Amino acid sequence: MNYRMSWLLAASIAIASPTFALAQDVLTIGVRSEAASMDPHWTQLSGDTQVQEHIFERLVGLSPTSQPIPGLAVSWAPIDETTWEFKLREGVKWHDGEDFTADDVIFTYDRLRAGVSGAPASPAFQLEKGGKQWTKVDDFTLRITTEGPYPTMAEDLAMLPIIAEHAASGVEPSVDFNTGQAAIGTGPYMFEEYSPGSQITVKKFADYWGGEPHWDQVVFRPVGQDSARLAALLNGDVDMIDYPPTIDIPQLLEDPNFVVSTIPADRLIYIIPGYKHIEPFITDAEGNPMVPNPLRDWRVRKALSLSINRDAIRDRIMGGASLPAKNIVPPGFFGYVEGLEADAYDPEQAQALLAQAGYGDGFNVTLHGPNDRYINDARILEAIAQMWSRVGVTTEVDAMPRNVFFSRLIRGDELSMPGFDVPEFSIALTGWGTVAGEATYTVSGTLETYNAVTGGGNGNFGRYSNTEVDARSVLAKRTIDNDTRRAILEEAITIGMEDYAYIPVHFQVNQWGMKASLTHEPRTNERTRAMDVRRVE
Amino acid sequence: MSGTVAHTAPAPGVWREFFRSPAAIVALATFSGFCLVALFAPWIAPQNPYDLAQVDIMDSLLPPGSESWTGAPYHLGTDGQGRDMLSAMIYGIRISLLVGLVSGVIALAVGTVVGLVAAYRGGWVDTILMRIVDLQLSFPTILVALILLVILGRGVDKIIFALVVVQWAYFARTVRGVALVESVREYVDAAKGLRLGHLRILFGHILPNCLPTMLVVATMQMAAAISLEATLSFLGLGLPPTRPSLGLLIANGFDYLQSGRYWISVLPGLVLLAIIVSANVLGDRMRDTLNPHL
Repeated sequence: MNYRMSWLLAASIAIASPTFALAQDVLTIGVRSEAASMDPHWTQLSGDTQVQEHIFERLVGLSPTSQPIPGLAVSWAPIDETTWEFKLREGVKWHDGEDFTADDVIFTYDRLRAGVSGAPASPAFQLEKGGKQWTKVDDFTLRITTEGPYPTMAEDLAMLPIIAEHAASGVEPSVDFNTGQAAIGTGPYMFEEYSPGSQITVKKFADYWGGEPHWDQVVFRPVGQDSARLAALLNGDVDMIDYPPTIDIPQLLEDPNFVVSTIPADRLIYIIPGYKHIEPFITDAEGNPMVPNPLRDWRVRKALSLSINRDAIRDRIMGGASLPAKNIVPPGFFGYVEGLEADAYDPEQAQALLAQAGYGDGFNVTLHGPNDRYINDARILEAIAQMWSRVGVTTEVDAMPRNVFFSRLIRGDELSMPGFDVPEFSIALTGWGTVAGEATYTVSGTLETYNAVTGGGNGNFGRYSNTEVDARSVLAKRTIDNDTRRAILEEAITIGMEDYAYIPVHFQVNQWGMKASLTHEPRTNERTRAMDVRRVE
Repeated sequence: MSGTVAHTAPAPGVWREFFRSPAAIVALATFSGFCLVALFAPWIAPQNPYDLAQVDIMDSLLPPGSESWTGAPYHLGTDGQGRDMLSAMIYGIRISLLVGLVSGVIALAVGTVVGLVAAYRGGWVDTILMRIVDLQLSFPTILVALILLVILGRGVDKIIFALVVVQWAYFARTVRGVALVESVREYVDAAKGLRLGHLRILFGHILPNCLPTMLVVATMQMAAAISLEATLSFLGLGLPPTRPSLGLLIANGFDYLQSGRYWISVLPGLVLLAIIVSANVLGDRMRDTLNPHL
């Protein structure tokens, strides 16, 4: 027994010795959410796409601040009112050595349009926006036409990973990607292993068009529990983690062995009031439904906003890492309105507004939200419930896992049917990421009246409806000139937010914790990627 | 009738025997103390931890012995939401004991009836009932409870229902075993000879003789129910986050352990430990003194 133990010990020392480690430069990342599939058209969850981005690329890439940059396309320009022409990059190789051409792009877009069977949230809707049609001009030129002028073409195509025609023809969605058979991309890293619950591994693609990748191998290890993920970093199991627990950031900052990277995120955390005439989770003091639903009165919505102490949430819950907001896209993004300042905490005015609206005696609401999606989401829910309760709006919290929450948020009501989603919650906390770095589809998605046919209001789960906002949103979607579009968007946002269409809380600030021997260039879109990490000696 | 009951019922000397163990006395005192705290929670607790208007996020994460900005003392500190830990624990004890006792009593009632009927009737009734019990016992309790709560949603009533569902089979199995032995004894034959009704024989004659066993199993199962409730709450099922029970308090504090804020997890953990250990010691001592053959 003793003999065997010492032998094991010797073996583990040999494995851990530095000479052995140098042979392969491996980066191990502890991630909060595991990738559910290696099929890049399966979902749009950042936990999935951040891993897939190592393998698959898009025509248009995104800079760290989510602005479009050349990807598999080197340039693009409108050639008339309704046509964009994309010049593709030449000399790009797939991981199995085949050449990348326009046929692969056509194949990818056709696959998306035909529908990826079983995919819970395929990004195919990006192709439906504007009624896109695509044709190949030659092997490295592609034209995309739309029904009308379409300004945000590059932003849309930045959401669509290109897959290989020769590798992915006729394969079973998701399944054959997870075995690696169809997971052939053009990205800097190649598929190596997909073991759900344990780890996902990618390895260096030496022939990458952008130069040799920095790491020999990258391992993504899912550690869902916040403190366990931090512990994995502290004890050296992983080199880097995403979402370090905010409460432990000061401890990490003090420790010379670790560094923290930080960037304001594109994700707005906000509260959606329900606009139905009668809302199920809003009752008067006796527990009876209220007619009309008080949230339809803008004074009530403003009162709810004024009673939220955003600075307290930032300082006491978020560890100082949040940006209180009234804007819907973060500073620096296309469509950020300078004059929109986050509401200051003012419970007296909130109570006065409630009294003015005829609800001086308060009412009861149930605030719904996820408890595993956004940074400290359950704690924010509880804090807001406290703040509302203190101004007389007695608030119960119902926090639930994200998969339950989002399906109920989007189409939870019994009246829901395909093409006519009816949200269930009366008031709920959720988040919206402006992944494209541009406010057009944030305005259209969250402020425009819900319309399943045009895709307008696809994130408007409270069913807010305001013709003044609608007119501007529709116009912005057809305005190619950037300055004109920016002005229209800013008007739409100002009108919507002065009306308290919804109640912004803050923008998340993303943080990563890593060993001091690493540097990381963080991204506003939350993705954790090995391409942004370097070893410094 | 009293003559027939005397057969295994506790003699007066049993209580003297029970109190011969110092551990049992301490356990009884501890457990009674917790019961009193639970009963009078609203009058003892400095704050109503479930009234969100009384909880202030600005007082969050204060260590034991701190004061709020209004000067009110937080003897055991506050949690991440600024809730007074002392009050939260007092109300948490209340939920834990309520859930443990109520689910224990209901499961005992259901299990007893099933066990008695199975033993007394025998034959296919016994077979069917006991196969259902076997089926129930073959699933891990935590798994069944988790699935039930996912389906049912949140609330004290739902968690009690889930605990009854996972526990009644233990009682049924035990009561049947004891009742099977009792039902072939002479006094039962005598009662049958007197042409007494089945119900009267079952509940008037056999049941009292099963009581010692039931008492012991019930005490043990109550401790198990309390810890199961804490487990489910720890996993985030069962009760809403604004009405924390002991398990939920421990879970909430878990995230703060690495930053040195031990009191949010450790203090409710100690209370839970004390409740479960004292209930178990009571059960053990009862088994030793009542001496049922389990």
